Amino acid sequence: MQIPAPFDYVRASDVDNALALLERHGPESRLVAGGHSLLPMMKLRLARPEWLIDINGLAELDFMVREGNVFRIGALTRHTTLLESPEVARLFPIVTDAEQVIADPVVRNRGTIGGSLCQADPAEDLSTVCDVLRAEAVIRGPAGERVVAMDEFHRGPYETAVGQNELMSELRFPIRPRSSSAYEKVERRVGDWAVAAAGAAVSLAADGTIEESSVGLTAVGLDGTVAGIGDLLGGRRPDEDLFAEAGRIAAAACEPVADQRGGIDYKRHLADELTRRVLRRACARASEEQEG
Amino acid sequence: MRVQQPAATGLDLERVDGRAKVLGLAPYAYEHPAENPTYLYPVQSTIARGRITAIDTAAAETMDGVVAVLTHLNAPRLADAADKELAVLQSDEVGFRGQFVAAVVADSPEAAREAAARVRVQYHQEPHHAALRADHEDLYKPEQINAGLETDTQAGDPDAALASAAVVVDRTYTTPAEHNNPMEPHTTVAQWEGDRLLVFDSTQAVHNARKTLAPLFDVEVEQIRVVAPHVGGGFGSKGLPHAHVVLTALAAKVTGGRPVKYALTRQQMFFLAGYRTPTIQRLQLGASPDGRISVLTHDVVEQTSAIKEFAEQTAGISRMMYSADHRRTTHRLASLDVPVPSWMRAPGECPGSFGLEVAMDELAEACGIDPIELRVRNEPAIDPETGKPFASRHLLACLREGARRFGWERRNAQPGTVLVDGWRTGIGVAASTYPARRQPANTARIRFTADGFYEVQIGAVDLGTGAWTALTQIAAEALECGPEQVRLQIGDTDLPVATVAGGSSGTASWGSAIIGAAQMFRKEHGGFPSAGDTSEGDGERNPAGKNYALHSFGAQFAEVQVHADTGEIRVSRMLGVYSAGRIINPRTARSQFLGGMTMGIGMALHEQSVMDERFGMIVNHDFADYHVPSNADIRQLEAFWLEEVDEHAGPLGARGIGEIGIVGAAAAVANAAYNATGIRVRDLPLTADKFLT
Ligand SMILES: Cc1cc2nc3c(=O)[nH]c(=O)nc-3n(C[C@H](O)[C@H](O)[C@H](O)COP(=O)(O)OP(=O)(O)OC[C@H]3O[C@@H](n4cnc5c(N)ncnc54)[C@H](O)[C@@H]3O)c2cc1C
Repeated sequence: MQIPAPFDYVRASDVDNALALLERHGPESRLVAGGHSLLPMMKLRLARPEWLIDINGLAELDFMVREGNVFRIGALTRHTTLLESPEVARLFPIVTDAEQVIADPVVRNRGTIGGSLCQADPAEDLSTVCDVLRAEAVIRGPAGERVVAMDEFHRGPYETAVGQNELMSELRFPIRPRSSSAYEKVERRVGDWAVAAAGAAVSLAADGTIEESSVGLTAVGLDGTVAGIGDLLGGRRPDEDLFAEAGRIAAAACEPVADQRGGIDYKRHLADELTRRVLRRACARASEEQEG
Repeated sequence: MRVQQPAATGLDLERVDGRAKVLGLAPYAYEHPAENPTYLYPVQSTIARGRITAIDTAAAETMDGVVAVLTHLNAPRLADAADKELAVLQSDEVGFRGQFVAAVVADSPEAAREAAARVRVQYHQEPHHAALRADHEDLYKPEQINAGLETDTQAGDPDAALASAAVVVDRTYTTPAEHNNPMEPHTTVAQWEGDRLLVFDSTQAVHNARKTLAPLFDVEVEQIRVVAPHVGGGFGSKGLPHAHVVLTALAAKVTGGRPVKYALTRQQMFFLAGYRTPTIQRLQLGASPDGRISVLTHDVVEQTSAIKEFAEQTAGISRMMYSADHRRTTHRLASLDVPVPSWMRAPGECPGSFGLEVAMDELAEACGIDPIELRVRNEPAIDPETGKPFASRHLLACLREGARRFGWERRNAQPGTVLVDGWRTGIGVAASTYPARRQPANTARIRFTADGFYEVQIGAVDLGTGAWTALTQIAAEALECGPEQVRLQIGDTDLPVATVAGGSSGTASWGSAIIGAAQMFRKEHGGFPSAGDTSEGDGERNPAGKNYALHSFGAQFAEVQVHADTGEIRVSRMLGVYSAGRIINPRTARSQFLGGMTMGIGMALHEQSVMDERFGMIVNHDFADYHVPSNADIRQLEAFWLEEVDEHAGPLGARGIGEIGIVGAAAAVANAAYNATGIRVRDLPLTADKFLT
């Protein structure tokens, strides 16, 4: 049997209580949300926290709400909730695309967006999604609340800006007019982690040219979004040659490692191919938006 | 010999154990009530070869709840340490990474695992070899190969025939190491009462298990009782007791009579419970321009563990499948510092069919003829190996029936021509076969109870395949009563002796004994028995085995889609047609065929145990990295069989169905992938990157 090392468990009553518990139990305490990353690591003894602070009861972290041009998603929002939300599908189809290929229904019913981002697994899909949507993370700690952009949030594999005594309370997504997005993933088996994946977000000018754009890649050793994509596409009309050019840039920008899921060349090839696909799809969706 | 007239057999009976399983009431090995149990957790070696120089158990021993810490220095001695896989904690030698070097027994599983982590082991490390290579320096020829077959065979002059053949296919195919990975982990619960040992084991053979254990512990087989009413799969890895069974029974010697429970973790299963050896297979087929094979050679290099030999009979299939005047098969082993390979679903036929059946596809193309027609042209009249007639060989009927159902005529002979929405699509075929084995040493007992039931007893095991149901049906038919009147008892050495649930031999072997017992019962007690009337019967050796070659056959068809841009590959459709003698229960039989095909898709697309040779470490040792298909990966899957009764297969007329479903499945997928893309992949698994060359 896969038994974790001994640990103690406590249920937080609200966010302040969770922060107090983190403070009290110190560096060997960990929040548990959906538990679908943390518990497997504990069972494999890759993680050995002494205290688990359960935040699953914190309804205040489980919400989705639009406020003007910002869409706020609570950290405890489950994958399934995101997948099934028509509003999310309309505003950010990239989220729906990604959620369809994250794990399986059992994992999605429990796993949360906050846990996904704070886990910061290099093959994790929602980090790329948040990068390309230019989301901001709201972090709460003893000193109050701070809002950090994604490039500041990510600190590398399994590392984020969230301090030991802090928690992520929500993510904020800017809503842009005439914009859309898409995500595509290649996996070896249904529900598996990505061999490689790509996400793109674009907004179009009134004349149909690309105003803003970003592309992110998953599982191929790229931090943040692909540099130079915005400049390349800005002011140009979406077309296949342009997407191909963007694909080449993305393939050159990433630094995949060879593993059982594929070799370096193959992963670079996917970065290229998937970048074209998501740009094609995001632009098509954005222009539909424009018409509709 | 009288062949039973079908009555209760052939019925689409629901699993008689289904309800208990769904309700969670069917006890698996770990779940049997045990009084005041202890729990075992092992320490595994972190080197691949060498010696233990020191073990510090002090920190573990002083932990709360720890009952004992066993090492090679203090463990009870086994009476027989010749089998180095089973001789656990008997010496300081380490033969592979992951081997047991110590074990903690404690009051709780948590304490056992925690204490095991505190055992410190020091080693003198010696250089090791853990990777299989075709040019391995010390390849050797084993005395015989699995199933007692000859290591090498030769007929005619293959080299001369190859030199003069008009068309030659000369290719090397490889299959990786694969792990059985049943859902229920290998589990043993052992308890000594004086000099009697009680074992709840997740095993495919209760009687064989105790026969293996008895000499190790210097007791008579009657002093050991092994119980296994329900088993959650094994695929061969539970056919022979592995080291954990011995370790648990050994540990139970030091607990003052308390039971010891041990279930391997999934990760431990990758080192300690057997696996399929990787194979390197060179196939040479020489034929006339119209595809008539004159020469067929199949030369295999594979691995064994240096501590215990296992020689997979990979080329066995090439001895009987197609006619050829000149033929050769060879098996050479690399003896490596790796875990001990063992049986995995269709040992021999499964990996061997990948080489042979892809080579046949290549030959069909080289000759420009249809792959099914190629097999028709090379259908032997008699078993080319032994010269005996086949008791029943319906390969061509399977191929034709499959072709009709699958829509084979829609296949484009030219590969790489169908492209729809970015997906290249193709279809492929492969032949399948598996020997019909029947083990003679089986006895069944039938007793009529006071409340009017027939109690049918045999020490058979249902490893999830449906034996509970099939044997109930066989007994009902032989007794000419309804299945509801039969109370079957299996999975216990207190019951009459039975052979392994393996080699696709279980149903036929046990069924013959049950039929023998039923005939004896009617002879002794007539049609109106009284309470307590009891008879026994044996399954006699099948006399037809002397005069006939006994094999099942099948045809596997696959439709595969490969994405033109990403190489992503999926099996969109698969269909198998089998000829396996009488089908006892269509429902459970269908599950067996579909399960075999599903495992074949896993073999084709996913399964590969990755050895890091620097450390002798299997790195992808869990389900996050060792992929088997999930439900969502399996699309359309169909299994059919020919209605037949094999009159040479014993009184039941059935040949066994547990393994044939996987044989040829990976080749069918690879052949379909070639038809889709024009890219011939000869190394399993068929990963996406291989289609982007
Ligand atoms: C079989 C399987 C397949 C999977 N496949 C995929 C996949 O294909 N793609 C993918 O992206 N993911 C995949 N996942 C991961 C899944 O999405 C997880 O649910 C997710 O990564 C973590 O979310 P969680 O809520 O379960 O976090 P938990 O496991 O509870 O926590 C993860 C980490 O985040 C911390 N944490 C959690 N919430 C907060 C918070 N609010 N503030 C600060 N720290 C916090 C925890 O302390 C912990 O360190 C898979 C998981 C499994 C089990």
